Amino acid sequence: MDKRVSAIRTFYLSLFFIVLYIPVLSVILYSFNKSPSTAQWTGFTLDWYRDLFRDRVIVESLKISVQVAVLTSILSAILGTATSIVSMYVTRKMEKTIRGIMLLPLLVPEVALGISLLIFFTALKLPFGILTLVLSHSLFCVPYVYIMVQLRLKEINKSIFEAAKDLGATRGQIIRTIILPLVTPSIITSSLLALAISLDDVIISTYMSGPTSTTLPVHIFSMMRVGVTPKINALCTLILVGTFFIVGLSQLFNKKVL
Amino acid sequence: MKAKAKSLKKNAPAIPILVWIGFLVGVPLIFVVVLSFLSRDNLGNIVFKFSLDNYKRMFDPIYLRVFANSFLLAILTGFITLIIGYPVAYFTTRLKAKKRSFVTALIVLPFWVSSLLRTYGWVILLGKTGLINNVLVGLNIIDQPLNMMYKFSTTLIGTAYMLIPFMIIAVYNSVDKLDRSLLEASYDLGAGKWKTFFNITLPLTIPGISGGFTLVFIPSLGMFFVSDLLGGGRTVFLGNLINTQVTRGRNRPLAAAFSVGMIVLVVLVLLIYNRVTKNKGRELF
Repeated sequence: MDKRVSAIRTFYLSLFFIVLYIPVLSVILYSFNKSPSTAQWTGFTLDWYRDLFRDRVIVESLKISVQVAVLTSILSAILGTATSIVSMYVTRKMEKTIRGIMLLPLLVPEVALGISLLIFFTALKLPFGILTLVLSHSLFCVPYVYIMVQLRLKEINKSIFEAAKDLGATRGQIIRTIILPLVTPSIITSSLLALAISLDDVIISTYMSGPTSTTLPVHIFSMMRVGVTPKINALCTLILVGTFFIVGLSQLFNKKVL
Repeated sequence: MKAKAKSLKKNAPAIPILVWIGFLVGVPLIFVVVLSFLSRDNLGNIVFKFSLDNYKRMFDPIYLRVFANSFLLAILTGFITLIIGYPVAYFTTRLKAKKRSFVTALIVLPFWVSSLLRTYGWVILLGKTGLINNVLVGLNIIDQPLNMMYKFSTTLIGTAYMLIPFMIIAVYNSVDKLDRSLLEASYDLGAGKWKTFFNITLPLTIPGISGGFTLVFIPSLGMFFVSDLLGGGRTVFLGNLINTQVTRGRNRPLAAAFSVGMIVLVVLVLLIYNRVTKNKGRELF
């Protein structure tokens, strides 16, 4: 009886993971196909990868994406950490308010958030480009940093702070010498995750990109709309490798996967 | 009065944070609501005159269909991810610690695969010259390639595929917290496996189920790139409509009105979520 149950379990889980990973694996597979069509497999090639680096639009949008992602993750690290430290010192009620407000950007559908920012920044006459991209990306990246730093802070034994206070440490000293060193791994992990999230965003970036500053995912989306080419497969595969590298790196600092 | 002043002083450091988020979320949302009551001229410029036209247009049968399509898509996405994802979550909790951490990593990993890549993977699988058709024709199971793209169901496959990890994680956490002694008690009292599942496990994991449903429902309303690439724009959903009104139609006031409609839908779902999970413990917030 138990053997049968465990067989069903293994079968179901295996089937599920096969379906979950086949689409991803087929994208990777066809990036090495000589034929420009998926109709047949005509042999192995790396030509599509070479093509990528010759495409100036792709290289330019990659540069923009990287700039935006790096700035976003720095900004999110600062704001997210500051928010979680501040929420240690405010009243209970305020702490709850902050927590609720931090979830807001994750609850509003991205399209609606994107449109609202588009309208708002247009009204402010802000030029669309790296600035608007970073501001909007940080909106949904800060909560991740906040949540992860918050989790770490909860694990810390509160008596350390009491002890420091009794020994005459000021609030600034406690933050600098106790809290920050203890939460640094979480800050690094979560800001690397923020980097990955920013690099991948399509919806918000569609509205925030300027005429000369399209991010890579926005450009890929417009390529995909035109049709299937192995060049897209190659590009997606490279991004996959890049993202996994960043996420893997982040896990070095924190064993807990999100 | 003095206590109030004291807590005000205590809360002072939080003000910049509240201002920052308020400035980037609150104020823009107010702008959307205001804009939804305005209109535009023929050039796409916004005319500052109050009107309810955008909302009246929403009740046009064509646009009501868009709402119905989106709602149906989101609900079906929720159900499909629940039906497929629940067993995954349930079985995973039953695995031994080592295997379990490997399986949970496999569940979470797709989050870090670009969502465009994951959508595109289905284009490659389901297309006329796609992998599935190639295999089926190659094995002589069918002579003509099947038409699997650009349907409502294709979009549904895409959204469900994209969002199923959320459902699994929410249910997993809920099943994991389950008090095993309740199940043993049920077995001891003579209830079978299925009876125990429907009478004990399922009701106790409702917070996880509704949490997962909420996490799946909200994004599936707006993922326009999935319906663009897989549905080919044949069935129009809210996300696509808003997107085309902004990028090509240049009718921002109308797009704003539909965004308000979408947000209202989300708020309704959150209210239902709060209602369902009241007194039962929550998975989210």
